[in-house]
Amino acid sequence: METILAILTVFTQPQLLLLVGVGTFAGIYIGAIPGLSVTMAVSILISFTFSWDVLPAISLMVGIYMGGVYGGSRTAILLNIPGAPSAIATAMDGYPMAQKGEAGQAIGVTTVMSFFGGLIGILVLALAAPFVSEFALTFQPRDYMLLAVLGILLVGSLSSGSLVKGIFAGAFGIAIGAVGRDPLTFAERFTFDFKIMEGGISFIAVMIGMFGVSEALQQLQNVNMKSVRQKIDRIVPSFGTIKKFLPLSLQTSAIGVIIGALPGTGGDIAALMAYDHAKRVTKNPEVPFGKGAMEGLVAPETANNAAVGGAFIPMMTLGIPGDAVTAIMIGALFIHGLNPGPMLMVDQPDMFWFIVGALLTSNVFMLIFGLTGIKIFTKIVEMPRSIIIPLILLLSIVGGYAVNNSITDVYWMLGFGVFGYFMRHYGYPLGPVILGVILSRLLDDNWRRAIISEREDLGRFFEGIVTSPLSLVLFISVILIFVSQTPLWTSMKNRLFGKAMS
Amino acid sequence: MSRKLIGAIVALGLSATFATAQNYPAKEIQGIIQWGAGGSTDTVMRSVTPHAEEALGGTVVMQNMTGAVGAIALNYVLDAEADGYTVLMGAENPLLYKIMGLGDEDYSAFTPINLLARGTPLLVANIDAPFDDYAGMLAYIAENPGELKVGATGPGGLPSVITAMMNTVEGELDVIAVPYDGDGPALTALQGGAIDVMPAVLGAAIEGVRAGNMKPILVFDTETNATLPDVQIATDANAGYETYLPWGPFFGVFVKNGTPDDVVAALTVAYAKGAENEEFVSLMDGRGFTMMNISGQEATEFLTKWQQGTAWLLDDAGLTKASPEEFGIARPGE
Amino acid sequence: MDPDFRGDIDHHDGTSDAVPGGYVEKRRPGELGFAIFLTLASLGLLYSAYGISGFEALSSPGSVPMATTLAMVISAIIVALRTAKLPKVADETLSKDILPVMVIVFVGFLILFGVLLKPLGFLPTSALFLVAAFKLLSRKSWGYSVTIAFASLLVIWLVFRIVFTVLLPAGIVPEAEFIQIFRNLLSGKG
Repeated sequence: METILAILTVFTQPQLLLLVGVGTFAGIYIGAIPGLSVTMAVSILISFTFSWDVLPAISLMVGIYMGGVYGGSRTAILLNIPGAPSAIATAMDGYPMAQKGEAGQAIGVTTVMSFFGGLIGILVLALAAPFVSEFALTFQPRDYMLLAVLGILLVGSLSSGSLVKGIFAGAFGIAIGAVGRDPLTFAERFTFDFKIMEGGISFIAVMIGMFGVSEALQQLQNVNMKSVRQKIDRIVPSFGTIKKFLPLSLQTSAIGVIIGALPGTGGDIAALMAYDHAKRVTKNPEVPFGKGAMEGLVAPETANNAAVGGAFIPMMTLGIPGDAVTAIMIGALFIHGLNPGPMLMVDQPDMFWFIVGALLTSNVFMLIFGLTGIKIFTKIVEMPRSIIIPLILLLSIVGGYAVNNSITDVYWMLGFGVFGYFMRHYGYPLGPVILGVILSRLLDDNWRRAIISEREDLGRFFEGIVTSPLSLVLFISVILIFVSQTPLWTSMKNRLFGKAMS
Repeated sequence: MSRKLIGAIVALGLSATFATAQNYPAKEIQGIIQWGAGGSTDTVMRSVTPHAEEALGGTVVMQNMTGAVGAIALNYVLDAEADGYTVLMGAENPLLYKIMGLGDEDYSAFTPINLLARGTPLLVANIDAPFDDYAGMLAYIAENPGELKVGATGPGGLPSVITAMMNTVEGELDVIAVPYDGDGPALTALQGGAIDVMPAVLGAAIEGVRAGNMKPILVFDTETNATLPDVQIATDANAGYETYLPWGPFFGVFVKNGTPDDVVAALTVAYAKGAENEEFVSLMDGRGFTMMNISGQEATEFLTKWQQGTAWLLDDAGLTKASPEEFGIARPGE
Repeated sequence: MDPDFRGDIDHHDGTSDAVPGGYVEKRRPGELGFAIFLTLASLGLLYSAYGISGFEALSSPGSVPMATTLAMVISAIIVALRTAKLPKVADETLSKDILPVMVIVFVGFLILFGVLLKPLGFLPTSALFLVAAFKLLSRKSWGYSVTIAFASLLVIWLVFRIVFTVLLPAGIVPEAEFIQIFRNLLSGKG
């Protein structure tokens, strides 16, 4: 009974309800603008809400978090610039839909599926938090490494052109991620003795450059082309559509919750893994992946919103952040006199249930705000190209600067923008570059941790993999996925199942 | 548009006429935080600054500027004007830049406004570790050389200093140092059993200890800690630690050398007031930090002593890139 | 069709990321040059990665960079060899399809933007850029370009500078003093 009361606290105080709503609304727009991140917004809010009570402050932050993760999909669909890293996969099929005039429909599906994924994440948080957090803790460095390898194999499904070019792009991304001083030993890597390279290359700068600037340069060639008229009827997907995607969205939500709950991995990796999963399990999409397949929207959007609930699991049960935003929230709880940690659930269970309630409310607000105002949003793509191209470029510059207040990042962003322009022209996929940058640290750091823990002994390293059930499962998945991508397997499969299938 | 232009011209005129210290702050102040959002430096700075703003009657806009162990932020503030409108909010790391080969500048190029608080190092162990106290841990290391996994956070980080201290006082300990990129991730790994022990700042480990998810082994201080009164202190375990303790990471607010004296004075008064605020003090207590709230000569002396002790300790342990001597850092007591 | 190719043969300009440009059996102007450039750059990076720590230990900071740059070198060589064998696209030229004047002009604009951003400040640089870009692309009157440029710049500035307190390079415009005056006016101190 008290639990229910705590969940409903949000509704009993109109002020809190309003703050969750305002937060969600602001979050959607923050998420949609490249360079403005939820992490940044929440950390600014810490000083802003300093003198407030803890409940209003948390309400606002929860709203921004939930709305922001969703908002990244807007610009990904409309402009091919992911507003947030977790929306990279969304651009793959969302933007082709917008080019066909189906932006409204894409946003509709995205919104409903984000709501669904968010809901699953929250339910898992509410019902199984201690269990999931215990599972997340059992991940050893070698498991994180295997997870990263699993992620890198996604290159196959992200490169719709030549696979070799995709492998090049992925390896290039990993190398970009290694630039700067190595965080574990402070050794300089790929800095060429330049001071400005010591801080490394901001991942957001690479993302905005590769997607935003190169897209804008690309569009210069058809500046006089008429913009695509957007159909804005049929925004809310039919019940049949939702039912059709139900099995897929449940699976991808599960991926989202688990990846979100793992400390050190968040919605960006979850969304990419979910996209790959969708590509693997969807045998006959109505529209091919990469050309506007609905499945390509459903998977990443359910996963990244489910990851929100997931990220709260280790935070609420152990005081360990699931991602950057929850790390800041832990700081905020401290400032408000609470001690987030394993004892919070015991000492102040109300706080836990309040956050669950706020997340639920925010999720509903997200659905409402997401489905209204689409008309105005789609007008963006109908603006003349002569206006929108300079604005994309300027926004990219400001966004690249805002991430770390660094002009160096702006230079990187412009450089990668021009480089990305050539990559596009010559058929090198850009997705794997971003994937490589995201996974670089996860792979590199955990490989080294794992091998140091085994005293540099490869024998002991493999022994560790074979004797741990979790590592073994991950290792076998890596091998299976790897084999399934090689031509040998394809021909074998055709020989074995070819006749039976056709 | 014209109104904006007039405003700008008026502003230009105003700033030219009144940009002296009587009017400080005449515009908002940039607070450059050396570490990322959500870290302990970030939390401390974001919670003390609103109180200092009140005392100062101005606005401090805080920005996180991460990278190269904080050197990016340090250099940014050094490149700005010495007018008190760009303030560095940092931790202890810059004092080791020179000897670690991370940069050519440290706090000697800065005037300390306030050294807010100091953390106490605490050695914690995984809950299933086969020992419960410091003596037991040493015995375990002696019996199982090269098996105990100790969490680390890169050269110059708190764990490397504490490990160097232990090696100096107890003789070389044969352990594996597993590097993490912060004490948060390392403590997570400790709870999952990826590492066995970890020297961490008390505030970061305290909640895990309270909940019984990790075992406290040794408090690196000269006095019994009020938060963990039952845990052995280092100087009791081995008198050899007395040379190096008390030691701990600290947080401070700095301006570039050459900032007008009255501006330094205004900022010093404001941050001293902010650091006295009850809410802030209780927040720091809760996180296990020891309040210092020192400035001026006292702060400079603290920095010098800290740098000498730590630099030579690391140098003796063979962890430095360059000898402290090269930078005129004297051996403590010389 | 090449079994390795999973893209869309109708899109050669790479209009969306999921559908990279390029042809399967033909090479575009400059494609071979780009592939050779990538190969050389990868070799350079491999050498640089070797310089990090050599073959010191499996856990050395250079081990993963060395592995990835090696992968880059191998894949870049394969791409270059394959590209070299392909026939050229007949009806495309470098200046018409890959690097038209407009793209070069805009890349120039961006470089200029980067150079001027710090000394001149964000507001003047952006204003210049937007006015020039709008004028060049829309071919409408100066008034039109200036109005739209200032309106959109104002919105961007308000969002980033005021709401999110991102300290964009101030340069020659005394933004901070200007904002302080407003603050004082609002709080009644001015």
